[in-house]
Amino acid sequence: MVAVAQHPNIELRTLAEVVKVSGYIGNFDVTIKQKAKYVDWDLCTGCGTCWEKCPSKKIRNEYDLGIGLRTAIHKVFPQAVPGKPYIDAANCTKLTKGKCGICEKVCPTQAIRFDDKDELITEEVGAIVMATGYDLFHWEETYGEYGYGKYPDVVSSLYFERLVSAGGPTGGKIVRPSDGKEPRSVAFIKCVGSRDDTKGKSYCSRACCMYTAKHAYQVKDKIADSEAYVFYMDVRTAGKNYEEFYQRSLNSGARYIRGRVSKIYPRGDRLVLKSEDTLLGMPIEVEADMVVLATAMVPSEGAAELAKTIGFSTDKDGFFQEAHPKLQPVETFSAGVYLAGACQGPKDIPDTVAQASAAAVKVCGLFSKTELATEPMIVEIDSDKCSGCGFCVPICPYNALSLADLSYRGHHGTATREIAEVNPSLCQGCGACIPACRTLALSLKGYSNEQLVAEVDALCL
Amino acid sequence: MSIDNNSWNPKIIVFACNWCTYAAADLAGLNHLQYPADVRIIRTPCSGRMDPMLVLRAFNRGADGVLLSG
Amino acid sequence: MKKRVGVFVCDCGTNIASVVDTGKVAEYASTLPGVVYATTYKYMCSDPGQELVRNSIQEHQLEQLVIASCSPRMHEKTFRKAAEAGGLNGYMFEMVNIREQNSWVHPDREEATRKAQDLVRMGVSKVLRNKPLQVATVPIRKKAMVIGGGIAGMQAALDIAEAGHQVVLVEREATIGGKMTQLDKTFPTMDCAA
Ligand SMILES: Cc1cc2nc3c(=O)[nH]c(=O)nc-3n(C[C@H](O)[C@H](O)[C@H](O)COP(=O)(O)OP(=O)(O)OC[C@H]3O[C@@H](n4cnc5c(N)ncnc54)[C@H](O)[C@@H]3O)c2cc1C
Ligand code: SF4
Ligand code: SF4
Ligand code: SF4
Repeated sequence: MVAVAQHPNIELRTLAEVVKVSGYIGNFDVTIKQKAKYVDWDLCTGCGTCWEKCPSKKIRNEYDLGIGLRTAIHKVFPQAVPGKPYIDAANCTKLTKGKCGICEKVCPTQAIRFDDKDELITEEVGAIVMATGYDLFHWEETYGEYGYGKYPDVVSSLYFERLVSAGGPTGGKIVRPSDGKEPRSVAFIKCVGSRDDTKGKSYCSRACCMYTAKHAYQVKDKIADSEAYVFYMDVRTAGKNYEEFYQRSLNSGARYIRGRVSKIYPRGDRLVLKSEDTLLGMPIEVEADMVVLATAMVPSEGAAELAKTIGFSTDKDGFFQEAHPKLQPVETFSAGVYLAGACQGPKDIPDTVAQASAAAVKVCGLFSKTELATEPMIVEIDSDKCSGCGFCVPICPYNALSLADLSYRGHHGTATREIAEVNPSLCQGCGACIPACRTLALSLKGYSNEQLVAEVDALCL
Repeated sequence: MSIDNNSWNPKIIVFACNWCTYAAADLAGLNHLQYPADVRIIRTPCSGRMDPMLVLRAFNRGADGVLLSG
Repeated sequence: MKKRVGVFVCDCGTNIASVVDTGKVAEYASTLPGVVYATTYKYMCSDPGQELVRNSIQEHQLEQLVIASCSPRMHEKTFRKAAEAGGLNGYMFEMVNIREQNSWVHPDREEATRKAQDLVRMGVSKVLRNKPLQVATVPIRKKAMVIGGGIAGMQAALDIAEAGHQVVLVEREATIGGKMTQLDKTFPTMDCAA
């Protein structure tokens, strides 16, 4: 992460979103909305005085999935890059009610800027790599049998990661949300929202088999005399050293039960999981202190709109569509726009990194040329015939046509009139404009009326 | 005139968009699917290029059917 | 532009020739107005096939080419280059699809051969109306944008930057790192994520 921030060739823009893209391969104009940070990061040293003194302290920490609290001015997590804080405007009393301003007073470098505003910035680039990743499936909305999120001790795998993380809010101690006690028995359920046509997604999320094996191992490793149950449909370990990793988890004593959990309900301060053990062919009941759901990966919020803004498509599940599933896995249908990571479909880190490097190579390949040949089969305009009616202009799906002034010598000296003009870089040669022109001023090179009529005539001989 | 009259060879002109229908016709070939040989395909850069004039021209010259696909 | 069309009918090994009588097609082609040379060849796209195109352009002063073979979606670029190597403008050439849209879909030799002849006639008729086209170029801005700063975006940005190009990395959150920073140790190596 730090390597990215420190690289002289990388300009980092956080709290920023792409709002508009125009142009074409080699020549994109991208408009970015840089959101207000309320802190001048050039002055800020990241000393932390501000967030220590900020009185708005009771805000749910989203990064830790609500395990801890945070202040209004804050860093997302201690090792955040860039390592500077920003003010969450919705929760800052100075920005909402005009009261407080403590951070401004305590900041030793006078870096606080309450008057900071969102701004629009335009970047001129030649290629775009999409790497917007994934979100997790909202199981609370559909999985009633798991309690719709009502049982505090039924959590997601990402929540479990925050618990078990040495740098996390509990310092790596596994405790359950309801009473803060260390669970003796933890049950894991895989494929929650994945491979479930009725309630979730039809696809496999690919990383869950492996991270659940990791989690089960971590329970056995960190909690003495603990039980880890894993409810599964299949165990898929197709990856280098993956099967061995899973075996290690089994050897640590994790108990794998083949079956889908049909119901979870509380009994005392514990949870009961009802399932079928399909290998034994009989119903089974397991009591656990905590349940961890491996939820499906879904496209990140706003991904579909972003694809539309840039001009390429998404697949049936909303992930970015690659140009060809086998032969062009990092290209999109939009030339010069490439894909990396989970935005293209669920994947784990090794696959993500491999695809990211592949996308980078595509970009470098493009950049190894200084110019790009353009397809010559585009529209040409006969200025003598064009009446300047402008009918063709709105027809072009690529905005390649416009009206421009033409000077010509008339009976009474030079005069000007408007005629259609084509931007050769934008014209894709689709020919949609041709029938719109009543004066036959437009012609598509390589597919002229004369050529097509000759073909028709030759076939109908 | 009956279609299953074997002696009749209709002239069918297809205007096929290079990116979809033309590619699909190639795919049909790749899979060795079969269809009547009376079909003659003209490649267009996009179905947007279609001009009603071309359809009329084909009929005018004696085509029995015209298929626009894109 | 003089009308001197050369027609090349490809056997594609047996892919075309087993159904279409290519010799008959070439023979028919040579009777078409404007055609000064017509031949068949086993594999038009092969090196010797392309050499045949180059040499024939010189030998018969061809001004237009029609190649009846596989789909233009396969080899249009190949033959355009061959035409250029022979000294012609690459757009004075038309390709006629007698494989994907003929020999592979019609089993009847007679019908397929007739269709191939029709298609060649269409190609010749069109190419006689072709005009030389010039390929223009646009400059490339050697700066990339990466949208999303998770492990995917960071890796892509670093690789591009290491290759010596400018990169703008746009991240929606206040920090880069994405989901990976929320993970503890990661499989399969169990090294730390952040
Ligand atoms: C619980 C859990 C445990 C896991 N454990 C492992 C493991 O041990 N080993 C392993 O290999 N894999 C593991 N994975 C999988 C791993 O998280 C992913 O493979 C990896 O994070 C994918 O990286 P990414 O960069 O594609 O996506 P992300 O990490 O999701 O990053 C995407 C980034 O893009 C940003 N973004 C999104 N939309 C926009 C936008 N419109 N504009 C700008 N920025 C945007 C996001 O804020 C984010 O920073 C685990 C996953 C889960 C859920
Ligand atoms: S007190 Fe000022 S310098 Fe220190 S972290 Fe806060 S904003 Fe930055
Ligand atoms: S090109 Fe044709 S349609 Fe376009 S402005 Fe000129 S006359 Fe009108
Ligand atoms: S050919 Fe298509 S892309 Fe080109 S100007 Fe006409 S409508 Fe626009």
